[in-house]
Amino acid sequence: MNLDDQPSRGTLILALGNPLRGDDGAGAAVIETLASLGQVPPGVDLLDGGTPGLETVLLWQGYQRVIVIDAAEMGFEPGEWRRFTREDVILQSRDLTLRGTLHYAGLAEAIRLAEALDSLPSTLTFYGIQPAELGWQPGLTPAVQHAVSEVAQAVLAELIG
Amino acid sequence: MTTNVKIDVHHLTRVEGHGNIVVDVVKGELKQCNLQIVETPRFFEAMLRGRPYLESSHITSRICGICAVGHATASLRATENALGVVPSEQTVLLRKLNFFGEILDSHILHAYMLVAPDFLGVGSVIPLARSAPEVVLRALRIKKLSGDLCAAICGRHTHPIAMTVGGFTHFPTKSTLEQLRERFEAAQADVDATVELFQKLEMPNFERDTEYIALHKKDEYCFIDGEIKSTDGGIWPISRYREVTNEYCVPHSSAKHTRNQRETYMVGALARFNVSYDQLSPKAKQAANALSIKPKTANPYKNTVAQVVEIVHAVEESIKLLDQLIARGVKWEDPVPPARLTGEGVGAAEVPRGVLFHNYVITEGRVTGANCIIPTGQNLANIEADMRALVPSILDRPQEDITLALEMLVRAYDPCISCSTHLLDVKFV
Repeated sequence: MNLDDQPSRGTLILALGNPLRGDDGAGAAVIETLASLGQVPPGVDLLDGGTPGLETVLLWQGYQRVIVIDAAEMGFEPGEWRRFTREDVILQSRDLTLRGTLHYAGLAEAIRLAEALDSLPSTLTFYGIQPAELGWQPGLTPAVQHAVSEVAQAVLAELIG
Repeated sequence: MTTNVKIDVHHLTRVEGHGNIVVDVVKGELKQCNLQIVETPRFFEAMLRGRPYLESSHITSRICGICAVGHATASLRATENALGVVPSEQTVLLRKLNFFGEILDSHILHAYMLVAPDFLGVGSVIPLARSAPEVVLRALRIKKLSGDLCAAICGRHTHPIAMTVGGFTHFPTKSTLEQLRERFEAAQADVDATVELFQKLEMPNFERDTEYIALHKKDEYCFIDGEIKSTDGGIWPISRYREVTNEYCVPHSSAKHTRNQRETYMVGALARFNVSYDQLSPKAKQAANALSIKPKTANPYKNTVAQVVEIVHAVEESIKLLDQLIARGVKWEDPVPPARLTGEGVGAAEVPRGVLFHNYVITEGRVTGANCIIPTGQNLANIEADMRALVPSILDRPQEDITLALEMLVRAYDPCISCSTHLLDVKFV
């Protein structure tokens, strides 16, 4: 079911994260790199979504395909990155049922809400980049900066491929 | 009939922060009935001491992730009053518009995500999304619009960066204001649907008259500045807020309690509605009529209904303000400089949960004393008084029904326990 009145849109590349928190800006940096490369095919939208919480549901509403890029704690070495899909992961959250305060609602809760709304994009892919440091200033660590270029190339390959 | 009831709700859900409800009834007699606030004190007032006056609004906006604009606004007004700064007409208009963004955002979150699930018989917004997706999407749409409004005026959705003492450091363009105007006009349908939804939700039948306190102005439904007005009679200038709040400590709460002319008083949307009904916008009055609420309403569960009335008011007034700003044009203005660097001032604003006071002493440009009195703190004693009145009247119900009634009562106040420093678990002992 498509709950949006708008006609279905193509592909959204959605960066999540707060660039003021060190390596949490990895997603935004990938979007910047993609924009500067100028090779993104037509019909593909780039969006630095920041930290939208539950409103992520609105950001990807109506898109057929969404690629989310974010720093992810995966227990790997800093700068290691993985491509995965919704089916590959178990949602982790302090309050997945949203019975609590809603203060903590993030990507996991947004996915759960979108599933309940039956408005999850038909293809949802994630690129997770293992951060080294989530500090209190902007700027990526060298390992994550290196990963940003690799992920941008991988996303382009996926788009063009 | 249940003669022994022990309720112990440890960490109440769907409220902001941590609190417990504890009720102990022995042989039909109420022995204990507390709303325990177990949140750690946060010491914001101490953090301000020694800081330059320009930092106060940025530090205190961090008290709350929901009413950050409210804290920043009250903080700026306190500093401005202390240092003899009179903001321009444009600043006043932009601050009002910004404020409506936050009122809308917070009221939608509370009415739809925290309260509606109780009335629609679901535990949270997730099953609600399955049974009534259009309701949840509507809430998200209005929330996003209000967040985008705040971002356009004060630089970002939460924790404003463009608001400063004497004015703004960033201004929205005409096209931004025109786009917002268009989206607010389109949001009217969502607002009408919100009123229709809450017309169908029947609030519990419980009344307990109390003193209602809110900021008041003769010519507008007051959210910023004004005077303090009570439904029991009495008007106080905001500089004399301590005569109204009379804070005192209780052993079971890390937040202080307050009292004025009775043992307890209530602040928030219902208090504003009871104090300032006459100043509501025409559509908000129509909505109040449709929702069967009129002043003075003494049913605390109807605080959420009053919030819905305020949602209508906020959207109508935001459109008016946008029209006004588009017509006069928003110009770059340097912030009004302070007339002095030493002084004391009080700032007050009606944030979503009620009246908020900031009071600063500034010496040679640095804060040397600060006092912040937060709405939820003012409501705590009143919530407990409601609980004490409610419990004996529902003792014949099963324990889980009593618990739910109490949880819904506390939730109706939209308590922000983290802000009051200090929230809720129900403990039936």
